[in-house]
Amino acid sequence: MNMTCTENVTPHFAHLPKLKVGDYLEFDGELIVMRDAAQNRLLELKLKGQDFPVNLRGKIVFYAGPTFANGRMIIGPTTSKRMDKYLHMLLENGVIATVGKGTRSEHARELIRKFKAPYFVAPSGCAAYLSTCVVSWEVLTFEDLGPEAIYRVEVKKFPLVVYIDASGNVYRPFGGADGI
Amino acid sequence: MSFVTSKEIYRSVQDELVRANTKAREEIRWYFQSYRGPFWRELNENFSVAEGEKLPLCQDTGIVEFFVFKGFRIQLEEPIEKVLNQCVADVYSNFGFRKSIVCEPILKRVNTGTNTPSVVHLFEVETDMLEIYVLVKGGGSENLTRLLMLEPNAEVDEIIAAVQSSLGMDIANACPPVHIGVGLGGTSDFAILLSRLALFDGDFKFFRPNIVEYNEFSEKLREKLNSSRVGIQALGYGDTVLKVRSLGFPTHIAALPVAVSVDCFLNRIGRVKVR
Repeated sequence: MNMTCTENVTPHFAHLPKLKVGDYLEFDGELIVMRDAAQNRLLELKLKGQDFPVNLRGKIVFYAGPTFANGRMIIGPTTSKRMDKYLHMLLENGVIATVGKGTRSEHARELIRKFKAPYFVAPSGCAAYLSTCVVSWEVLTFEDLGPEAIYRVEVKKFPLVVYIDASGNVYRPFGGADGI
Repeated sequence: MSFVTSKEIYRSVQDELVRANTKAREEIRWYFQSYRGPFWRELNENFSVAEGEKLPLCQDTGIVEFFVFKGFRIQLEEPIEKVLNQCVADVYSNFGFRKSIVCEPILKRVNTGTNTPSVVHLFEVETDMLEIYVLVKGGGSENLTRLLMLEPNAEVDEIIAAVQSSLGMDIANACPPVHIGVGLGGTSDFAILLSRLALFDGDFKFFRPNIVEYNEFSEKLREKLNSSRVGIQALGYGDTVLKVRSLGFPTHIAALPVAVSVDCFLNRIGRVKVR
């Protein structure tokens, strides 16, 4: 099934749980970009009982580390499996979906189902094209981490496929090999 | 004795680094032309946007590895590593390629900000050439590198099964359809080196005359890995593995080192002949 989300769905995302595994969509809206180093810092803050420098409630997290060329943000997904150990932290802080590449652990699938927070994949090795979908960006925090800082990006027609839906179904178009 | 200046090396490596990062190889572009699974349009457009605007094909512009084959009569102006690192630092800064290297792996992991140091291997060979192989190695695929120390009499099917189970479903995280280099024999470290070289085309007899190539083994391994149906972008359609190349080398009577290097579908490789 193909579907296009033309409205800016960021504020409510009421229909996120309705998306089905394998759905293709072109997303307009806001993504919060972070990866290994930033999430590790967030985890340290959590363990110390300190507040996060970013508000994650109602946000979609995009696992990525961008670079900048020709005045563009060049961006694409990184391996989501490495982020599985931080997924509970994100979801309990209000994150409503994640975007990355590749498979996730069984533990992550269980969290995705429990929090009804679907996992999307974006095309990998495709950063020059994805840069044309980025409308604007800003660094939110951890600027010293360079490509691993936390960014807020505004995207238009950003291509996504639902890899694990809110019911915990995993994308497996031909059956057989389990993606998890 | 012939003399090669740093400028000569720098200029040719510079062009090759830009090309490898921004221009997809013909065979890769050709392969994706017939792909009609998820993201087919985006992946194909990426090739033209990157080439047209000299933008990196992937935001992960890798750790750069160099395999330098230097004719033993050739004299260099400076240590090759110094020239290559300067070249990487300049190109990555000038073209906005991502700086992905941290200064130390376990304590601070502070970004060096230059995408250096690169990993440089220097070998002396019996030619009159200075040849530099360049591998732009992304982190996702690099995490799939495997080293197996098997028993010396392991059958081909056992080796293939061992490789397959060591990669498992993680192949989905290395940006399939992947390229796989297998190194068999030598010592553990040399097997890994062979697996790296196997990610390139060409004959390596000039480097070590006793390197052998296993085409049937490669084809069998490719078929086995493709039966998993992970597919392009791990989305089920098309191949999981584009290509397998396997190289062997003499080894110890007690040993069978098997190294596996995995590269993403872009397989950003380059080769420079300075002389």
